[in-house]
Amino acid sequence: MLNRFTWRIGALLIAVGALAALVATSVAPAASHKRTAGSLRIWVDADRVNATKKLAQQWASSRGFTAQVVQKGFGNIRDDLKTVKAADAPDVIMAAHDWTGELAANGLVVPLFPKKAALKQIPAYARKAFTYGKLFGMPVALENVALFVNTKLAKVPKNWADLEKKALAFKKGGSGRVALDVQQGSGGDAYHMYPLFSGLCGYIFGSSSGRLNPNKLGVANAKFLKNAKLIDRWNKEGLVSSKIDGNTATQLFTSGKAAYWITGPWNIDTARKAGISFKIVQVPKIKCASVPFLGVQGLMVTKYAASHSVATAAKDFVQSFMAKSSSQYELTVLNGRYPANTAAAKRVKDTSLKQIGLASKGGVPMPNIPAMNSVWGDLGTAWVKATKGEDATPAKAAFQTAARNIRAKIAGG
Amino acid sequence: MIPSRRRTDLSNTAVPVERAPTVRAGGATSLPTRLVTAFSGTVGLVTKIALLAIFNALVVWALEILAADGKWIPVFIAAAATVTIDVIYLLPGRTPAKFLIPGTVFLIAFTVIPIVYTVNIAFTNYSTGHILSKPQAVDSIKQFTLAPPPSGKTYNLTPARDENGDLVLLLADADTGKPYVGTTEGLKPVDRSTVKMSFGAITAAQGYTAIKGAELFDPASGLDKQLDEFRVPVGRGAIHPEGIDNAVELEPTLRYNPQADTFTRISDGVVYRDNGKGSYQTAGSEELEPGWKTYVGFSVFSRIINDPLIRNPFLRVLLWTFVFATLTVGLSFALGLFLAITLQKQFALQRFYRVILVLPYAIPAFLTILVWGGLLNDDFGIVNKLLPWGLDRPWLFDVWWARVSVILVSIWLTFPYFFLVCLGALQSIPGELVEAARVDGAGAWQVFRKITLPLLLVATGPLLIASFAFNFNNFNIIYLLTKGGPASGESSIAGATDILISYTYKIAFATGKGSDYALAAGISILIFFIVATISGIAFWRSKALETLR
Repeated sequence: MLNRFTWRIGALLIAVGALAALVATSVAPAASHKRTAGSLRIWVDADRVNATKKLAQQWASSRGFTAQVVQKGFGNIRDDLKTVKAADAPDVIMAAHDWTGELAANGLVVPLFPKKAALKQIPAYARKAFTYGKLFGMPVALENVALFVNTKLAKVPKNWADLEKKALAFKKGGSGRVALDVQQGSGGDAYHMYPLFSGLCGYIFGSSSGRLNPNKLGVANAKFLKNAKLIDRWNKEGLVSSKIDGNTATQLFTSGKAAYWITGPWNIDTARKAGISFKIVQVPKIKCASVPFLGVQGLMVTKYAASHSVATAAKDFVQSFMAKSSSQYELTVLNGRYPANTAAAKRVKDTSLKQIGLASKGGVPMPNIPAMNSVWGDLGTAWVKATKGEDATPAKAAFQTAARNIRAKIAGG
Repeated sequence: MIPSRRRTDLSNTAVPVERAPTVRAGGATSLPTRLVTAFSGTVGLVTKIALLAIFNALVVWALEILAADGKWIPVFIAAAATVTIDVIYLLPGRTPAKFLIPGTVFLIAFTVIPIVYTVNIAFTNYSTGHILSKPQAVDSIKQFTLAPPPSGKTYNLTPARDENGDLVLLLADADTGKPYVGTTEGLKPVDRSTVKMSFGAITAAQGYTAIKGAELFDPASGLDKQLDEFRVPVGRGAIHPEGIDNAVELEPTLRYNPQADTFTRISDGVVYRDNGKGSYQTAGSEELEPGWKTYVGFSVFSRIINDPLIRNPFLRVLLWTFVFATLTVGLSFALGLFLAITLQKQFALQRFYRVILVLPYAIPAFLTILVWGGLLNDDFGIVNKLLPWGLDRPWLFDVWWARVSVILVSIWLTFPYFFLVCLGALQSIPGELVEAARVDGAGAWQVFRKITLPLLLVATGPLLIASFAFNFNNFNIIYLLTKGGPASGESSIAGATDILISYTYKIAFATGKGSDYALAAGISILIFFIVATISGIAFWRSKALETLR
């Protein structure tokens, strides 16, 4: 008797609990939908979240709208966009230009058509960086590596031969010193080594009909192979060593054991905090111009904006508001990166930022096609093998192997 | 192994038996007793119903979300399971089921369901370019292939309403400044005198009221969507608003035929057909992007078997994974056991040594592996600096020394675990057995081999198998220490220290067109079968050790 009684009470209470949950949940989704309908949701990474919040607020109050800025890990912005639920999806994202190919191939972002006047203020290479058949992003900031010279310990080199001489002399001048401080590590780092790669006339993909062609690989082109013996010489005289990894590279420069450091604007503050007085220049021309890889950051409109009924607002924010030179200048000040807009670039006051902007001249945007994924690993490995020290592989062989492997991967993928 | 005449009854000395709660002298009860009496009767009943109510409320919430997504099979399964669980807990008796349900629920939720999903993905083409559903892909293609015509114009836009309150576009040619009115019927030029312009855009026009910004963005007005979908037909395409102040003339470059399910390029008539593998493709191999996610049968598995890029390193990597896991577990167990035996006897600093020997296990592995990566650096790491002249090695840069380094670091990480386990297990070996053996004249090594070790293996056998399975898939140490490198001579993807799981990761995410989830899922299934087979055989064989009892 007692058990039946318990059963009924139990069932009743559970039903009550379930009903209460039903009521609660029928209220909650309505609330969240309202939130999405009336505001623009933006995904930004930690570095730029404060700057974006401020600018989004400015735009929102000027238009009588609301903007919701959500902070995410930088890589997560690209990855989560594939799997996010439509109700939680962003309308605008801050993206690196080399995601363009992948995001466009996945159909997750929409083509943009900004006004001609706005586009004129963006350099051609930055526009191209976000182009994958069509323009998919509005560039807002530029990033590139350059040569940081510790002016107290060494002089700015006039040309490559000068750099070689000075760096090696610096290395001999004390124990534990390195000549050219550029990070690789056992996994390799093709990005940081790119100025040296392009200086020897290497390139990644050739183009056909205005688009990058993954079948035209320039990793072991004839000109580069001819110049590759210079790498063997550098390895023998100890100019470049692949044993240096990211942390070590920073340590060496900030402790005065390296006077020539190839790194990017993310380390400007690090060097300043360590009390180093430094000048930033482009790596001097070796056989061809030693241009760096350019990273362009920009804003993209996702395909979810239309389903959230904020497509017009999203396009207005990205194509009109953020294209203005005043917006981009504000972003620069808060963000520490060189602006894409040329008018804003003229207003940059920070010396190091100006120098690194100048050092980007002629730079090559990282290829934004999905095939680029197959290049990083092998290109980095080729450098590691060729600059290992005593048991290094001859550079010509190392890069030819790399080119062969990359071709196989691109074909297989 | 143990001579049968030595079989001793160990049943009452094997494991310390949990003492039943006892009432001590003076009426004071132990904590377990008090808890049991407190939760009997009404209090227990109420607690049980409250917990069940909360559980049901959560399930109802989940069912609502699933139903909103239209996933009816999970709804049905979850509802049926919840009702079953409620019934079992409310009815009296059925005690075994009541104890097993929480574990079973978690097993299904966190092990079985992910496995089912992985198997499902392995039969699709889920990868970069194949994320969307087919209708979404068709829509995207239609949108992405709109292009400005050769002499296409752009306009400065001002949204407005006509006398009937309908939405129209007041357009001013961005180059010439000529004003127009755009409606869903078409483009109509207007007289310059009837409009007011400023900065190349129309600010006011006769017969129309410009829409103020606030109204445009008001979500209740629905104007955002209306404006986004507004089209002014012109030429072969239409004028599309882009934002609130810009409009562009675009025309389609592909034509979609819904009956034949093909796209035809307008300029030269090339036809794109559904190629059954998730994209539209020409007779040549030109594909339209984006594609869509679809089932492709066994093509992932046939690719693993047939593609030389994937197959060639597979055996080498498999062998190295076995070697790595076996050496790690074997040597760590040996070291842990040795230290446990050594530190069994009481001596001055026994506690101190026990503590510091556990430290490698206690500090987060992520940190320590990265630190080891720095310590083992050729030129700058302290290991090479401390070693006497001539003994320094290219720890992480040479193929074989990298393998040695990886094993040494993983032993460093694993031995404290076996040290602790062995300390405990050694206590459970009855002293009488050892004494009896000594009396019989057995030496220390014989005692160890014939008594201590077999009994120890009975207790720690499952742990060894589990540790082997863990190290078989120990992605962290490989990726953090060497990233799978250094590059071994021939193979392109697999480095010298790559184990199956890091190799899978590289294939799936660092080659071809980017992320290839389907391929990763396929290889994961293979790894599962390998590990499951080994574990199964190992458990079956370890039953032989059980007969010692």
